[in-house]
Amino acid sequence: MAELKFRRFTVNQRIQHILFFVSFILLAYTGFPLKFPEEWWSRLMIESVGGFDNRTLIHHLSGLVMIGVSVYHVVYHILEKPRFDVLFNLKDLDDFKQQIKYFLRYSDEHPKFGRYTWKQKFEYFGAGFGAVIMGFTGLLMWQPFEAMKYFPIGLVQIANLFHTWEAVLASIAVFIGHFYDEHFDKFPNLSWLTGNIPEEELRHEHPLEYEEAMKNRVIETPENVEHTNKDNILIVGFAKLIFTMIFVAICVWMLWISYNVLAEAIKTYII
Amino acid sequence: MMILVLIAVLYMTTASAQENIDESCFHCHPAQVNEYKASVHFNKNTCADCHGGDINISGTVVSINVMHTNFTGKPTPVNVTNFCSKCHENETMVYEESIHWQRLKDGRSAASCTDCHGIHNILSSKDPNSSTHFENIPETCAKCHENQTRMQALYYGIQTDRFDTYKKSFHYKSYAGGGRLLAVCSDCHENHDTRQASDPKSAVNPANLPATCGKQGCHTGANNVFITGGKIHEEQSVKLLSIDAKKLVTYFYIIMILFELSFTIGLIFLGITSKFEIRRRH
Repeated sequence: MAELKFRRFTVNQRIQHILFFVSFILLAYTGFPLKFPEEWWSRLMIESVGGFDNRTLIHHLSGLVMIGVSVYHVVYHILEKPRFDVLFNLKDLDDFKQQIKYFLRYSDEHPKFGRYTWKQKFEYFGAGFGAVIMGFTGLLMWQPFEAMKYFPIGLVQIANLFHTWEAVLASIAVFIGHFYDEHFDKFPNLSWLTGNIPEEELRHEHPLEYEEAMKNRVIETPENVEHTNKDNILIVGFAKLIFTMIFVAICVWMLWISYNVLAEAIKTYII
Repeated sequence: MMILVLIAVLYMTTASAQENIDESCFHCHPAQVNEYKASVHFNKNTCADCHGGDINISGTVVSINVMHTNFTGKPTPVNVTNFCSKCHENETMVYEESIHWQRLKDGRSAASCTDCHGIHNILSSKDPNSSTHFENIPETCAKCHENQTRMQALYYGIQTDRFDTYKKSFHYKSYAGGGRLLAVCSDCHENHDTRQASDPKSAVNPANLPATCGKQGCHTGANNVFITGGKIHEEQSVKLLSIDAKKLVTYFYIIMILFELSFTIGLIFLGITSKFEIRRRH
């Protein structure tokens, strides 16, 4: 059975995404052990990158990569012809309400999403604001004495506070939310690598975009036709098992971190 | 033959003279003598150098004889400083400028030589087991400075969270994470010359902070003005419309994270349950 495939991400976008997530994972991997340096997993993680000084170096370099990709992304958007489909609109609010109704079984009708769902838009802007906050506070913390030439020490300490909180917030969003929605639920979702989305998935996840594309009929060129191969179901199943185990472990880790950060903050600032 | 025997007897008596002193103390104080034997002072001085008493009296006689001339069983902190100064003249001179000595001189309680360096078991600061070894300094200072009852009893108003706040700094976190210890108490507060921050000669006096932080090998060239306005152990408050900005940030993020966690996990849960529902309908 032949199936159409649709271009979802350009090479440029895919490279941006890969650079962003590789630096994100490295930052989280080398950053959280510094928040909890005496935990056994921190020691393991620091040793796995070859000691504490390497940890610091990797964290700084990944930070620079993330800042670079974020700046590039803004430039890319300015140079590219303007597009507004990623901005929030009123339909997102309706979609959200409809989805909650569907989930709670007040309605049998799942909302029809366009190119980006309301959740994907949240993730996109969350990542954007997160990168801005993490970048600025990270630079202040990297060179505290340079920073103190322009700001009082209290502001450098606030940068520290922001950096931790935003890291926890972003990591929950990515490691639990984004991983579940985009990679666990749609496993194996390879559109980040190939740039393509299968017809079935597009029709199911982004019906409005699918209808629009079918109306325009610009996609029916021979290289857009893919022959689906069902033989690899064992490999996919095994990969999903491995991915599930990693995903659950990361979720437990994130919950542990959130609990400890929240407990410490509540102890210091509220009680 | 007679001469040989005489020489042998003479040798034995002179050899035992040095040992006898220690041996005689060892009879009743084995723990202290053993500690002393492992210390840097072993074979450099004797028990009597610190405790007084007559070293010429044979130890085989009752020990009380050893103790008969100006013997001090338990030297006071001021005594300790006095007899350490016999050999460690420079260190004592510097120490006698410190707040610790100022308090002792006033007849109040404070750290003397032995409180940091140990008593019988004094080791070189290069020895990793030494209480004054670089990596052991935070614990050595914390012994008194984290002790709430002791600090309160002194009534100096010294805060006891200094070790805890230090543990949150990168200086210590690097070490806790298996790396190098970047700076310890004495790097900023000085070791023998510890002074109150309000003392203009103190290394942690705001006026001297740029020089202290900017030491060679630390934050070289830290000659900016803002560090003079900050204390590293304290959480600096930054006011935003008369509200503490740190509290504001913390409250904001506590709410954000609780909201995000419940929302994310809630939606995942609802998504899974709605799938089961669809399957049952088919």
